Amino acid sequence: MTQVPDQGAIRGRSLFSSARDSFRLLMEDNFAVVGVAILAIFVLLAIIGPWLAPYEPFKAMMTETGRLNRLSPPNATHLLGTTAFGNDVLSQFLHGFRVALIVGLVAALAVGFISTVFGVLSGYFGGYVDDVLMRLTDIALSIPTLPFAIVAVALLGPSIENIILVITILFWRNGARIIRSAVLTERERIYVKWARAAGASHFHIIMRHILPNIVRIVFLWVTMSVAFAILTEASLSFLGLGDPTVVSWGQMLNTAFSSGNLRTAWWWVVPPSLALVLLVSSLYLIGRAYEEQTNPRLRRR
Amino acid sequence: MRAYILRRLAQSVLVVWAVTTIMFFMFRVMPADPTAILLERGLTDEARQALLEQWGLTGSMWDQYLAYLGNLIQGDFGSSFFYRKPVWEVLWPLIVNTLWIAIPGLLLGAAIGAAIGTAVGWARRGGKLERSGIFLATVIRGVPNFVIGIALLTIFSSTLGWFPGFGMGDPGATTGFARYFTLDFLHHLALPLIAVIIYFMPENLLLMRSGVVENRTEDYIELVRAKGVPQRRVAWHAARNSMLPLITWLFPALAETIAGIVVIEIVFSWPGVGRELVLAVTRQDYPLAQAAFFLLAVMIVLANLAADLVYGKLDPRVVYK
Repeated sequence: MTQVPDQGAIRGRSLFSSARDSFRLLMEDNFAVVGVAILAIFVLLAIIGPWLAPYEPFKAMMTETGRLNRLSPPNATHLLGTTAFGNDVLSQFLHGFRVALIVGLVAALAVGFISTVFGVLSGYFGGYVDDVLMRLTDIALSIPTLPFAIVAVALLGPSIENIILVITILFWRNGARIIRSAVLTERERIYVKWARAAGASHFHIIMRHILPNIVRIVFLWVTMSVAFAILTEASLSFLGLGDPTVVSWGQMLNTAFSSGNLRTAWWWVVPPSLALVLLVSSLYLIGRAYEEQTNPRLRRR
Repeated sequence: MRAYILRRLAQSVLVVWAVTTIMFFMFRVMPADPTAILLERGLTDEARQALLEQWGLTGSMWDQYLAYLGNLIQGDFGSSFFYRKPVWEVLWPLIVNTLWIAIPGLLLGAAIGAAIGTAVGWARRGGKLERSGIFLATVIRGVPNFVIGIALLTIFSSTLGWFPGFGMGDPGATTGFARYFTLDFLHHLALPLIAVIIYFMPENLLLMRSGVVENRTEDYIELVRAKGVPQRRVAWHAARNSMLPLITWLFPALAETIAGIVVIEIVFSWPGVGRELVLAVTRQDYPLAQAAFFLLAVMIVLANLAADLVYGKLDPRVVYK
């Protein structure tokens, strides 16, 4: 009797079920749970933050005597004090959640999508597409990230959309390479050959055999991209190249720095710094758990 | 081997050319007119035209591009709009300043990271040392470099007053090459250098830890252990084999670190290439910005080339084709 591959092997897995499995594995990692919890709080604050803000972020506060209420330490009316320009720190801080998360999520989704499409196409089909992609990424990898972002944002104009665009241009390249090499391994699996022999289309194989097996790597890369995007936006804003029409944490720190109050106005400096550290660390904690998932040799035996 | 080096060199030249081209066209789409800054200073039309010619801003885009490439090959980066002198003269001393914090920062960060990473990787799986090591490294990795800088400034400069927090030397200090060997310089160097080390260490730590964890279950470790070698030396065996990926990562990281140092240079007002890039961009001084960017890109290309060649020396399994 010849061995006939069973139907399941040819049908493969759905993307959804493998994504769910991956998330279940993630929640078994204590550090990742901490990361997910912090992230959830940040997402919640990003949604409701601007409503919680007691004042307009750029409104100049006046004292009772009618003078600009500048650099006031925390008190009952201004829970986190005021800035050198008389703005309420708490209100600016609460608005910052939304900016950070929007930049992080939109850029990471774009990066994840582009690197998956390019990675899969070039890894699966190889040949000409692969050559072009590899040469393109060779060049792209030689471009210093932050300097490129500084120049590009300055030239395009400092808006949130342009910052997201520049971050996407910068980070798809690493993702495409990582996903490509994962696809190269998956392509050679025996069940892919069985499916091919059984007459499955390329589309079917990609959707049900390749993608479900690289979904963790895609998740890892998307998580890291959120962190890189948030860091890049924060760095640009800190350097004074952020979108001047929105309040972001990097920009708050830039204002504190350039007005020379970095060392004294702790109430102005600590909240945005701490929020950035918590947010980026929580993403790295989640990313680390995916890393352990994707590298079986790191798993505990 | 020689054919391989030649091919890699040719590839590098190609990459540099591509980056240069991208950069050239990026800067030319800049909406602002660079001579506008000069017009404010009351320049006549003829003088303006002469300056445009001097800076290679006349003729079609294509002519400008060819002239630009030609000058670049001769090492001529043009003149800075702001400083009114050759870009090279502005940037040359700054490269040294950047390398002063980049190279020691990178090496110390890698060494400290690798040492702690080995300890964490060798620790009992799931034990206290391993878990707290991974947790701390991951959290520190999440601290943006300007936050590291701000924290160091606030604690060690403003509060404790141990270190200066601004620039590279007190006014009236020694100038020229001799300044790099004065106590005053080292005093100013301390905080930015520590910032680079902290910024750079966690990634090394985690990379080293993964390597050691992967290697510790290999047969050769069992063999060394069976010979009755003390634990510490066994760990050293695993560590040595885990350094390979660390070293390949180190060279490209050098370039990335130099790029990331931009922010640290700004925080500490350290006069380096990165800080000059930011200043040039805000002043719309594009010959200078272009050259600073070019310099950083070339450093990355050279670092990648070096990584490939060194890797082959270290890992005898690599065959050059």
